[in-house]
Amino acid sequence: MTAAPIRRARPLLGTFVEIRVEGLGVARGARAIDCAFAEIAAVHRLMSFHESGSDLDRLHRTRVGDRIAIDARTHEVLAWSARIAASSAGAFDPTVATRQVERGLLPRPASTWTAHPRADWRDVELADSMHVRLTRPLWIDLGGIAKGYAVDRAVGILLDCGAQQVCVNAGGDLRVAGLRAEIVHLRSACGIAAAPAAQISDGALATSGGALAARTWRAARSAASKNGRNGTLADAARTVSVAAPLCVVADALAKVVRAADAAVTRRVLREFAAQALIASPDDSAGAIFGTAA
Amino acid sequence: MKIAWLLPLGAAAAPLAHVAYAAQYITIEQAQHAAFPEATEFTATALGPDALASVAAGQGWSPRAWRARAADRALGWLFVDQVIGKSELITYAVAIDERGAVTSIEILDYRESHGGEIRLAGWRKQFVGKTGADPVELNKDIRNISGATLSCRHVTEGVQRLLRLYKAALQAQDRT
Repeated sequence: MTAAPIRRARPLLGTFVEIRVEGLGVARGARAIDCAFAEIAAVHRLMSFHESGSDLDRLHRTRVGDRIAIDARTHEVLAWSARIAASSAGAFDPTVATRQVERGLLPRPASTWTAHPRADWRDVELADSMHVRLTRPLWIDLGGIAKGYAVDRAVGILLDCGAQQVCVNAGGDLRVAGLRAEIVHLRSACGIAAAPAAQISDGALATSGGALAARTWRAARSAASKNGRNGTLADAARTVSVAAPLCVVADALAKVVRAADAAVTRRVLREFAAQALIASPDDSAGAIFGTAA
Repeated sequence: MKIAWLLPLGAAAAPLAHVAYAAQYITIEQAQHAAFPEATEFTATALGPDALASVAAGQGWSPRAWRARAADRALGWLFVDQVIGKSELITYAVAIDERGAVTSIEILDYRESHGGEIRLAGWRKQFVGKTGADPVELNKDIRNISGATLSCRHVTEGVQRLLRLYKAALQAQDRT
């Protein structure tokens, strides 16, 4: 028995979130999709850097050293962040928000204190599954990784509802679940066109660095080559796509591939059973890392 | 997880069909019933040029509005509007309850314009499939796309505009 796929899209998480389910009837499918969207909205409310009342907002308002209660889902994302930060020696670090606030890329949170310039992910102490404590003043942004996590939560809900084939795509952080392999297209950084890039079953793909406008490609690339090799696999002008079993991991690892040196990148990809595709904006070939071979 | 990257075969890259991407999610009627499941009636309401002009200057803005009712009880409004992004045209629906609060936003359809595709031949060449059949054709109807994030800022601004329109032209009807 096959029911026609049902697709919905809503603006959430600052982007368009598209959900497709197969194997459920119209009414059950619509209900399952509503539940999945509601969960994504809940993750957004809990982990938003900007929204007052989010767990991060409360954490940023609290006294440094105080234990504060957070939602189990926020705890889970912080735990993933800590694990990936440790594994990548800080190439992925959610406390990068401290530096981004300093540079004016993020608004200053409503903290009474000012973040310590050298505080990092090691100053976020996770206690039991419901509490967190800052050991130094710092600011946390879970933007991308929370988006990946929201995708994972939505997929879980849809499968629990009995869906047989699922795809959840939050602005390019996507996960496919079900028996059938699906082709994922990559949108180029300098335009609207997309090309088929991978065939995935039961896995996630996240892409980073695709947001540069066409005219900045060349500048970014020449800047990267002028600065000489800093040892990373991807220069600024390249699009990094990471495939991993979970979307929360794929999103964070895309940043690792961008920032970490080649040895760390290979180690982290192996540890999380992930692979990376680094594609250039021109016609040279893409390169794959982390292939089991 | 199983993954197969679709990588280049080399210089002999086969040309790919250049199809501008479009996605159809739900119809206006489906959006009406999704937003107001208990509604028995949706009445189209004319939005006069003066009301539109008072909210947004410029021509071509033509949102549509329906009043949702269950028997003789007013439930709220459903608006359908379009916004144009950098290279995409998005039709969306906004439901507003009788107190003027947004209760849902749904994308009805999404269309990418042509152009920008030809100069991207090089980009596409990287991913010429080795699966035999052309994956673009295989997935013409349903495409999973990763990469450059599309901002939903235009939709957010469109919703704000519709809320101003509601206040200017329709709110009075909810108070009677």
